Amino acid sequence: MNRLVYGLLLLISLILPPVANLMESVMIIHMHMQMPMLVIIGMIMARFFQERYPRFFEKWNENGFPGIVLFIIIVSYWMMPRTMDEALTSQSVEIFKFISLPFLAGIPLMDSWKKLSSIGKNSVIIFFTVAFIGIGYLYINAPNPLCNNYLVIDQIILGWGFLITAIGLIIYLLYDFFIDPSAYEEVAEEE
Amino acid sequence: METVIPQAGKAKTVFKEKANKVLGVNLQDALITKAYMSVAFIALFLGGILGLLQGLNRAGLLELPSWLNYYQVLTAHGLLLVVVLSAFFMIGYYYAGLSHTLGGLLPKVRKIAWIGFWLKIFGFVLVLIPLLLNEASVMYTFYPPMAAHPVFYFGLVFIVLGVWALSIGAFIQVANWRKNNKGKHLPILAFFATGSFVLLVGATAFVAVEVLFMIIPWTLGWTDGINVLLARTLFWAFGHTAVNIWYLTAVSVWYCIIPKIIGGYRWNDFLTRMVVIPLVIMNITGGFHHQIIDPGITPEIKFMHVFMSLAIGFPSLMTAYAMFRTFERTGRAKGGKGAFGWFKKLPWGDVRFLSPFIAMAAFAPAGAGGIVQSTNQLDGVVHNTLWIVGHFHLTLGMSVVMTFFGVSYWLIPYISKRVLTPQMNKLGIVQTIIWTIAMIMMSGAQHTVGLLGAPRRTSYTTYGEFSSTLGWDPYLTMLGIGATLLTIGVIIQVYAVFNMMFFAPKGETEFPVAEEEENAPKTPYWTERWGLWVVLTVIVVGMAYVIPIVDMIVNAPPGSPPFKTW
Repeated sequence: MNRLVYGLLLLISLILPPVANLMESVMIIHMHMQMPMLVIIGMIMARFFQERYPRFFEKWNENGFPGIVLFIIIVSYWMMPRTMDEALTSQSVEIFKFISLPFLAGIPLMDSWKKLSSIGKNSVIIFFTVAFIGIGYLYINAPNPLCNNYLVIDQIILGWGFLITAIGLIIYLLYDFFIDPSAYEEVAEEE
Repeated sequence: METVIPQAGKAKTVFKEKANKVLGVNLQDALITKAYMSVAFIALFLGGILGLLQGLNRAGLLELPSWLNYYQVLTAHGLLLVVVLSAFFMIGYYYAGLSHTLGGLLPKVRKIAWIGFWLKIFGFVLVLIPLLLNEASVMYTFYPPMAAHPVFYFGLVFIVLGVWALSIGAFIQVANWRKNNKGKHLPILAFFATGSFVLLVGATAFVAVEVLFMIIPWTLGWTDGINVLLARTLFWAFGHTAVNIWYLTAVSVWYCIIPKIIGGYRWNDFLTRMVVIPLVIMNITGGFHHQIIDPGITPEIKFMHVFMSLAIGFPSLMTAYAMFRTFERTGRAKGGKGAFGWFKKLPWGDVRFLSPFIAMAAFAPAGAGGIVQSTNQLDGVVHNTLWIVGHFHLTLGMSVVMTFFGVSYWLIPYISKRVLTPQMNKLGIVQTIIWTIAMIMMSGAQHTVGLLGAPRRTSYTTYGEFSSTLGWDPYLTMLGIGATLLTIGVIIQVYAVFNMMFFAPKGETEFPVAEEEENAPKTPYWTERWGLWVVLTVIVVGMAYVIPIVDMIVNAPPGSPPFKTW
């Protein structure tokens, strides 16, 4: 219950017009801060729903695959320039953003992540790494504004933000590939 | 004086102490630390003397000769004390700690440590040559468009290479220990060392980019102009972090060493590690608060970064709490009664405690001053005044350096297989008192006269006998008196170090790492996931820097040619 309350409080604080306006005024903060925060809010609330509706998650997200697909679809949708624009110009799309990211991306991610095998997890990370590089390249090199609401410089900054995040993910993947945790830690010690 | 403090503790503690006594210090490892300590304290001596020259100049008592101008002295003073003393001390101390807590350095790590040492010395000689020829009086921040001789920057590159070698050595040592001690927590001192070396690599990466890709091609004439704002930003990502690494080193002493010296135990291992981890993740981005008055960075970004800077304050508050809790517990265990009775029971006559304690106490006003400077409006009043100089003489000159001094009274005897005598302890107490009074005088004067508007980085001038600025003179005189007393402190400290290294009575000294309290709660194992902390650091740094840096590059001005302003 607590988690639901905390999550909703955080969600409301992000929806408050001054907060939302400030975050949406900078393109990269809109996409790389506000949107991930909405997903994280969903992850915070997830346990409440998992405990309240265990059968639902068991039935529909048994191996974590449907959940992660839903997460990928929602997140990919919000990475499109057009959708960001619409969120700023159309009230209903803005509302959809505040609902879809926590409830259709955050909660399924939390429920699916532990159910996925390490190959599944790494595939998701690889997918986003490749997507981030592609989108980053697009945003950096696009000569025209892809969003009506933002300047070209905002777009270039966002492109570099994508590339840097991709570099972070690549470092993680290399670390995961080359370092064998069992050489350093006992599995029994895991928290 | 016997430096091993007798204490009734767990059987494990006693056994460990015995083992240490039998094994003592590894002589080959001790030699590495000795070399680093020698360089550190020679740098203290030279830097201190140069500080005296500056202080006397600012007080209007000494006119520097034409062949040794104020800015040359200022550059050398900054580099010797901020770069050489701090970095060499930190590395010597941590390598001694790694050797002690991880069962001796590996032969290849020892080799790497020596390679790093000579790379740094070579780099430093390269830095020194143009400096002595007055070709590099660019101050220790070497802000473009002031340009020094290219050799100065080549020297910096070698210093960075040395730092990287030492960091790699430390990582190899830690990884090897973890392979042989699966599932165990890294000993706390080695944990601090890992955090510090991770930060050191992260910080120097920025300055390496600045020097290698921007400044060197520009001073060699390969490029016409330099992006000043970008260079300053890269510098402060390094500079701010470097200062915080020295601070983290001092914090490691407070958490790991001081409890043992006062005869107590370490409190809450989990909290300690949770101080290190956020300090590593959030540190580099704090660099922006040094640029609050730089044009070309939007107020929103500055606001965001002030938030990041203040976030670093939180672990410091946890440290303050943890320290006083340890003091109170230990004082009460020794029979201290009443609300403050425990305070009297602390070993005030022991320089190994007194000096770091005053260092900690100094961090309260120093931290408060830091918060003032990272606030946009307040910084507008004090930026580029002597206030800032006063601030970093409190943080580095007291909080960090006095902790280092306190460490020297057991670390130097430990690596030299000698002991701290009561006479030397007394001398240390005298040194601590002199240093404290002198630094309060000097830094107090600098803070005050800075508020009145006296600029920093400026040789003595009366501004044409202008009445308002003549009012600064009493403070500047006090600054000069403080600097003179500090020089006495420096001489005593350097004497003490080399006396303990070569002339003190032979014997065994303990490396005082405190044990955890009894019934301490178990620390979660995820604190050991350094790979994850590094990835988080990269992403936090990337996110924090991407907006301003892309803006600075894409909307760059034509760039500035090199200037020699001296």
